[in-house]
Amino acid sequence: MARVPVVRFGRILVATVQEDLYDRDALQLQADLAGALERTGAHGVLIDLSTVEMVDSFLGRLIGEIAAVSRLMGAHTVVAGIQPAVALTLVELGLSLPGVQTALNADKGHVLLRQLVNEDWFGRNGTHDG
Amino acid sequence: MTQPATKAQTPASVDAQTALVAQQRQTITELETPVIQVWPGVLALPLVGTIDTMRAQEMNEALLERIVATGSEIVLLDITGVPVVDTAVARHLLETVTAGRLLGAEVMIVGLSAKTAMTIVHLGLDLGGITTRVSMAKGLELAFHRLGLEVVPRREHDARAITADGSGI
Amino acid sequence: MMADEERIIICGEEGIVAARQLARTIAREHGFSLVDQSRIATAVSELARNVVRYATNGQGDATIRTLGQDRGTGIEVVVHDDGPGIPDISLALKDGFTSGSGLGMGLPGTRRLMDDFVIESSADAGTTVTIRKWRR
Repeated sequence: MARVPVVRFGRILVATVQEDLYDRDALQLQADLAGALERTGAHGVLIDLSTVEMVDSFLGRLIGEIAAVSRLMGAHTVVAGIQPAVALTLVELGLSLPGVQTALNADKGHVLLRQLVNEDWFGRNGTHDG
Repeated sequence: MTQPATKAQTPASVDAQTALVAQQRQTITELETPVIQVWPGVLALPLVGTIDTMRAQEMNEALLERIVATGSEIVLLDITGVPVVDTAVARHLLETVTAGRLLGAEVMIVGLSAKTAMTIVHLGLDLGGITTRVSMAKGLELAFHRLGLEVVPRREHDARAITADGSGI
Repeated sequence: MMADEERIIICGEEGIVAARQLARTIAREHGFSLVDQSRIATAVSELARNVVRYATNGQGDATIRTLGQDRGTGIEVVVHDDGPGIPDISLALKDGFTSGSGLGMGLPGTRRLMDDFVIESSADAGTTVTIRKWRR
């Protein structure tokens, strides 16, 4: 079973998905993230899909659920690194991942998360360098 | 069973022909979907003509590749040259917006004429939350704003600083 | 007409991953683009998951064939199970029965990803879905 490790970087939880996930691994990730949010009170979740070559409707919906659960627990979720082939497939499947913020790669994902967390604290005009 | 060719073709010439057709197809695709980087982080994609499913797919593929290559976060999709925006075309545009969004880029639709805007409303099409502007210029203005940039006139005394050979600053 | 054929049993979750990885590998080996590889793997994943969820004992099989004819190179995947069948196929194929709700069997989405899509289903014969994608 390929468990996706959840790593904490300051106030952000990072999950880097590296393999083709079994359904149960994806469900485990959802549980692990929720548990970690409860324990740490982290403000952001970064899901890195840079090396993922296939996202079907099951995983797509699960990602949406993770974002919704995280939101209830006070954290923003950013999904980073969706590959073009995966994005095109998701669109054709009719999935748009509403409620999920996205970034081109993990670096930009971290920047976006900082921005989102800052906005929570300081409002839309809070200082940031973009 | 394929029909025999009416003129003798060697396997090599058939291969060459197939390669040429593939090459031309590639060129047509690139001409049809010119993705232009108008500013660091801003891509522009002017559409001309009708958009069918195949063209939409090719356009999305080309656009996403450029988003990855340039790291752009804003795309200005210009539909000035699209004659009719009906339900099918609107769906394709929505798909392009979604595809870009999944890669962290905001796709704005610019070049909406009054006629197109009224058609969309009359058809009851929901472009749910997509940012739209009437022109590329307006889209650029918004893009700059998003990037924290502003275009302002140069200050007056700068205009007088013309060098001896008249070349300006 | 040249045809290579591989058959894989789908049993449980492992079967979903195995089937889609095999389909992807074969698609890649036959020169399909990255996007098409993703489409094919995803379509097979959707169909295999239906087998695991709805078929008797969650068992079925997938047969993957490569096709070569006038249309060029193609890949065909036939996913079959001897389960109870789909009671209302037209409902299952209805667009909007997939997106977002979590209900349904992902069939409209699968159909959109593929060039050819044929489904036969009955209580006696189980369910057979045939999908094909042609290399452009």
